[in-house]
Amino acid sequence: MPQQPAPPPPLPAPMADSKYGSAEKIMALGAPELTALLKDSAASSYAKAKACQRLAVVGDARAVPALVPLLSDAQLSTYARGALEQIPGAAADDALREAAMRLTGAQRVGVVHSIGKRRDRKAIEMLVKLRSGDDREAANAADLALSRIRPVL
Amino acid sequence: MIAKQSRRGWLKTSLAPMIVPGSVLGLNGATPPSDRVTLGGLGIGSRGGRVLQSFLDQSNVQFLAICDVRYDRRETLKSLADKKYGNSDCAMYSEQAEIFARKDLDALLIATGDRWHTPLSILAAKAGKDVYCEKPCSMTIAESRALADTFQRLGRVYQAGTQRRNGANFIKAYELAKSGKLGKLHTLHAEAGPGERWAPLTSHAWLPGQPEPHKQVVDWDRWLGPAPWRPYHPSYVMGRWRGYFDFHGGGILEWGSHTLDLCQWVGDFDATSPVEYEPAGMGGITPYHVACKYANGVKLMLRDKGFLGLGSCHCRYEGDRGWVETADGGKIAVSDNLKSEISDVPAKEAAEATTNHVKDFVECVKTRKPPRANALAAAQTHIACHAAYIAFQLGRKLTFDPATDTFLGDDQANRMRSRAMREPWGL
Repeated sequence: MPQQPAPPPPLPAPMADSKYGSAEKIMALGAPELTALLKDSAASSYAKAKACQRLAVVGDARAVPALVPLLSDAQLSTYARGALEQIPGAAADDALREAAMRLTGAQRVGVVHSIGKRRDRKAIEMLVKLRSGDDREAANAADLALSRIRPVL
Repeated sequence: MIAKQSRRGWLKTSLAPMIVPGSVLGLNGATPPSDRVTLGGLGIGSRGGRVLQSFLDQSNVQFLAICDVRYDRRETLKSLADKKYGNSDCAMYSEQAEIFARKDLDALLIATGDRWHTPLSILAAKAGKDVYCEKPCSMTIAESRALADTFQRLGRVYQAGTQRRNGANFIKAYELAKSGKLGKLHTLHAEAGPGERWAPLTSHAWLPGQPEPHKQVVDWDRWLGPAPWRPYHPSYVMGRWRGYFDFHGGGILEWGSHTLDLCQWVGDFDATSPVEYEPAGMGGITPYHVACKYANGVKLMLRDKGFLGLGSCHCRYEGDRGWVETADGGKIAVSDNLKSEISDVPAKEAAEATTNHVKDFVECVKTRKPPRANALAAAQTHIACHAAYIAFQLGRKLTFDPATDTFLGDDQANRMRSRAMREPWGL
């Protein structure tokens, strides 16, 4: 029979990236440095997650190419979408639309939700097709996105 | 075409000719099943357990099912319910879809961590359930608005777990303010979470990962739910998730969801929120405050220090002819000119707030009227708390348009109004 989870030990020191340091230090970087961090193969998932969270507030279109590869990463896709949802301009919309056609499974569902949040009218045709497709979760997400982009009056 | 019949209607018409115990028909003082509100629970921990006890104490409520990602909690809650009813009927689920699918449940008590509150409430409403949800009720401004819109559109009853709206001493202070004896209200004070306990700024850090337990012990994926992925650490699961940005809104949401809520109520601001938010004290954890202002000029001070020490969750209402201050425990302080107008509430009576709040909800499930902490009131309170929290994070004064939930002239603040939910979750 399953047991209770082990009682929590005293809180350990929080994680830190060996190159970029603590979350606080990473999130104090400027947008160009954060974008460069995302492209750095030596950066940990932790550092990349924190960089994305900061780019959600300070990033611009120049960060988009560095965010796109993370959309297929099961651990980091939410973080990448969090930034793309907030970055103004067409580059983020284009990236999300392209990803919705390329990705599968939960990552595609997430991207479709992000498209809905951005109310991207250019995505309507693609979402209509997705809504009648075989992937039920993606179809439901597309339906929800469409209701946000062109709500029933 | 066959007309749909409600659970209560079916019970009323189909049970009558049968030979059943008197208690089932409501004889001998018992509430018949057709008049009972059937309840399920999700994520019931320590606070949720106290709320659930208030539900179990109601003779017109029947608790039928528990859903939790933790095996030990499912077992504990089932034992509690089965002992109460003298049967073994309480069902246990680890997947929320299963409890939403129960057609015989009228309402759900949601007492998970904050990250789950809005998505579960909305899913519950879409499944036709009324909801009592613990606070803080949302993680963002966008979630708060989606919550209010959904419950209004679907006509479901929602009660936020801001029980002080039904606390005897808070009602007395409210009624004194509404009587006009304070004069024209000009400043409202709400206690933000004590900085030493819940810092106003949350941490973006992760704890070092540890091996995940078996899914039947703790389903880490489901525990995280809509929050972004991070490695497992037992501390989060055992209650120490507060203080992390991905899971919690810090002291401003933790306490403001109660106290700012009471100020919204007393000032007739249940359909709006302040238009200005100016933070101070960002250098440390205490003292700190956010000075807010409503469109009509009334000031709202959200602060963690400087109250009279009457108890936790202080509120103080100041008018041009007097003031009143109260807090948990029942004590009420007033300006000298109003001392004959009001008296303390006995501590035992003050402690009945949660029970009164639960009764208010159960009654509204039956009457379909909005409870005191309904979805719109809760949403506006949380929008104000999130706006104050965003101002605090940015460290600058913000101007807000409550009609559009938009900050004026501040792109960064607007980008903090929503967050991405982890796939496949979405609103």
